[in-house]
Amino acid sequence: MSDGARQNLFNLIRIQKDLEKISGQVLARIPRANEVVAEIAELEREAQDFIYHWTEVIALSNDELAAHFVANAPAAFVWLDQPAVEEWIIKAMDAFDNRGLGFAVEVFDELQAYVAAHGDRQTGCQFDQVAGFLRYLVKGLGGRTLQVASEPHAYTDTEKIFLPQALSVLEGQAANASLYKCLAAFLWAQNRYGTWRYRALEEAIRQLDAAETWPLYQRLESVRLCACLERDLPGLQREMEALAYADDSARAAWDTFRARVPSLLAEDATAQTSLALVAELRGLPLPPPLRFQGEMFPARVREALFRRVPREKAALQRALGAMQNELEMHTPDDEQNRPGAQAPNRFSVSKGEDEQGRSDFHELRYNNERVPMGPELESLLDSILQDLGDLDDDYLDPKALRDAYPADRESKQGPGEDPDGHEGGSRVELYPEWDYQRQRFREAFCALTEQDVPFGDEGFAAATREKYRGLSKSIQRVFEAILSEAQRQKKQAHGDELDLDALIEAHVDRLQGREMSDRLYTHLRKSGRSVAVMFMVDMSGSTKGWVNDAERESLILLCDAVATLGDQYAIYGFSGRTNKRCEIYRIKTFDEPYNGAVKRRIAGMAPKAYTRMGVAIRHLGKLLNAVPARTKLLITLSDGKPEDYGSYRGRYGIEDTRHALLEVKRSGIHPFCITIDKEAQSYLPHMYGPSNFTVVDEVQKLPWKVADIYRRLTT
Amino acid sequence: MNTLTNAADRIIDEEPYYEPHGNEVEIFAAAYRNQLPILLKGPTGCGKTRFIHYMSWYLQRPLVTVACHDDLTAADLVGRYLVRGGETEWLDGPLTYAVRHGAICYLDEIVEARKDTSVVIHPLCDDRRILPVDKLGQLLQVPPEFSLVVSFNPGYQSVLKDLKQSTRQRFVALEFGYPEATLEQKIVSTESGVDEDTARRLVKFGEHTRNLKGSGLEEGASTRLLVNAGKLIACGISPAIACDTAVGHALTDDPELLHAVHELAAAVF
Repeated sequence: MSDGARQNLFNLIRIQKDLEKISGQVLARIPRANEVVAEIAELEREAQDFIYHWTEVIALSNDELAAHFVANAPAAFVWLDQPAVEEWIIKAMDAFDNRGLGFAVEVFDELQAYVAAHGDRQTGCQFDQVAGFLRYLVKGLGGRTLQVASEPHAYTDTEKIFLPQALSVLEGQAANASLYKCLAAFLWAQNRYGTWRYRALEEAIRQLDAAETWPLYQRLESVRLCACLERDLPGLQREMEALAYADDSARAAWDTFRARVPSLLAEDATAQTSLALVAELRGLPLPPPLRFQGEMFPARVREALFRRVPREKAALQRALGAMQNELEMHTPDDEQNRPGAQAPNRFSVSKGEDEQGRSDFHELRYNNERVPMGPELESLLDSILQDLGDLDDDYLDPKALRDAYPADRESKQGPGEDPDGHEGGSRVELYPEWDYQRQRFREAFCALTEQDVPFGDEGFAAATREKYRGLSKSIQRVFEAILSEAQRQKKQAHGDELDLDALIEAHVDRLQGREMSDRLYTHLRKSGRSVAVMFMVDMSGSTKGWVNDAERESLILLCDAVATLGDQYAIYGFSGRTNKRCEIYRIKTFDEPYNGAVKRRIAGMAPKAYTRMGVAIRHLGKLLNAVPARTKLLITLSDGKPEDYGSYRGRYGIEDTRHALLEVKRSGIHPFCITIDKEAQSYLPHMYGPSNFTVVDEVQKLPWKVADIYRRLTT
Repeated sequence: MNTLTNAADRIIDEEPYYEPHGNEVEIFAAAYRNQLPILLKGPTGCGKTRFIHYMSWYLQRPLVTVACHDDLTAADLVGRYLVRGGETEWLDGPLTYAVRHGAICYLDEIVEARKDTSVVIHPLCDDRRILPVDKLGQLLQVPPEFSLVVSFNPGYQSVLKDLKQSTRQRFVALEFGYPEATLEQKIVSTESGVDEDTARRLVKFGEHTRNLKGSGLEEGASTRLLVNAGKLIACGISPAIACDTAVGHALTDDPELLHAVHELAAAVF
């Protein structure tokens, strides 16, 4: 055997050993393991290390998946550079997290598809790159607020605008980004200029058939919408025109087509005009689709419309009912009962006296008196008119609401009433989670809902106050001391009083021929408190028993004390079981005063499931950031380290929590932890930093500690 | 502060350009005649200050404007002793000056001022009509020509800076909003000198940015910003650049929002 061959053999054995060391199972699962090992041996050392590292990380999630990775990894290095390979791995891991093993395996096995898409991405444009901007653009253009989301087809259902995940139709990224913009603007125009207005939609669905006449109708509408855009947004229309056609023959075909339907270019053309033309032009050869034209899914639009129309109708009637009550309160009785007074009081909507006759300008009248609309009502009315064109009388009759709509009942149902939490009812928010092994976020990994805490014993607050009477007094005093820390500053250049001492000194200076100071005033500087505190309370199962009692009692004492300071504060509990069911319990929001309901909710706090902390910190940090205050504190009351069903134990949970804390710190929040876990020394310094936590061995000390933190952090 | 001295110089000679939104001129004049203080509410750049200038001209009274800030105390408004060459010398503050000369005193963004300013504002604003100058030991009786006008912007103030009920219930309140499209168009074209069509597009662009209020932008483009953009356009700057510099960058620093505002401007021109 030659030296080279021997070296080769050693190499193969080394790689085989290395892989076995990482995970014994992985190689056994690969059908052609020998070939794969040989291929890996061909790679650079750096690439080999990369493969080892990721094999190890993936095997932590799933051995089978790791095997598919190893089997495809050598080929991946042939087609992709290392960052692209990493992206490919992350895509598979995300698929595993969110959709399961089958989808993840598919990503690894269909390497060629990924390579092709990757090539496109280099020249194309990703939805994620433009999504933020497009949301603002669509919102800015006006009308009903349309969400922007990604789906394989470009279309709108009148609630959302859907755009493909990536576009590489045109040459270069900028051109594709521009195409995204034109797609979004065109789909916005369908909503704005009445393509999906209720009557037009119903007629279209009745008259048209998918194969033949819908495509014609879509082109007619394109002509009409482009004309509308040209009138209102000429700059945008120029840009759209420039990229609309694939080639000159397409342009010529469109010019001919447009010339046949001059009535659609008129200002008063509607979707009905297009519809009327369908019969006339049936059988005509169609020009190729415009690039930004997207697709039409009338059934999905109809579904969204049927959901929205009754909901908005009820909302409008409710709003008008409230307005009517208010208006009638201000009308003297005799005027209401005056004989011969014009029939019943009623609302009407009329087009405003806008000289340009814009259709989007409306005013609301009550008994022919113009009444001002708030922004909510205005946008509601705008949305309804966008669907219907004009209003039936019963829309404007608050009394018609009595036969309550299902949609109305739905909106009255509080999130807490939903027995299962996540299905329907309460809104689910998705948060990322930090995976320290991958050194990456698992995007949209945690599903979180906010829920109300059921009311507990009414007497709990009073009993607690009675029990800790002495303690609560002294806490109160500490807090009041913080408040009175206003001080008079002497020797100021400006101020409200003369500083006599300084004046005498200056006078002496002058007599002695020295330069006198101009700092002759005193200035009363009150410590302008601007503090917002978020209490994040552990409601995991492990708090059952005296820990839970202690938490509840401390909260009662705390609320009393913080109320004296006038600081803004909120209390939320957190718990959860797996990333799919993270739960946050509202106990007191920032807007809510400290009242009986809050006290009863504190009393009603009960131990739930596990401690998934990262997602709770991210969510509550977001809420806290929405509050205007100079100092923001996130105080966690906890009984142990983060822990959840599944992988959220030990280092993983600690690292995610630490990362979440770093994120909120970066946004200007001071996190602090109060724990009763005596072993906290081993992990809390790593999560919160060496001085941002305190371990309490007796529950009585808990409120004291918080008073301390206040003094330290807010003065 | 020497410029304070000559009251007659402070009367505005030339009629400032102002387009009434409604009947605010009559209401202001009636309140003035009845010696009622006036509160102007409205977003920034919608014409509050211009309105005061106009009313000052309309009523032919001198105008004293104070831009309030967090360190503005009652003493800053009333006056203070200054030390000059070993002597202390009294110097009237803008409010005392306005009272002595029967001027209109305009406190811009009143909520920014220190809370202790209410000590002097309250007795001025009810039927007592007096200004206590405690350091001089004087109670100035306020002449009928004097009028106090304050403004505040309910939109962007934090909850910590709301106007107290005891203060706001002393005023006749006039609410200002952005003018209706046609009126705003007229204002933009008159103020900046651009043609009607450009003004129409600018106003349209303004409306688009106002749609973004609350979802990214704190405020949409004010009439003032649109006028500024118009002035740049009138000087030959291209509309896209004028809108970017005069409006976009004035509204936000967020790159995605800037991009959106830029595209909205490009869309209407």
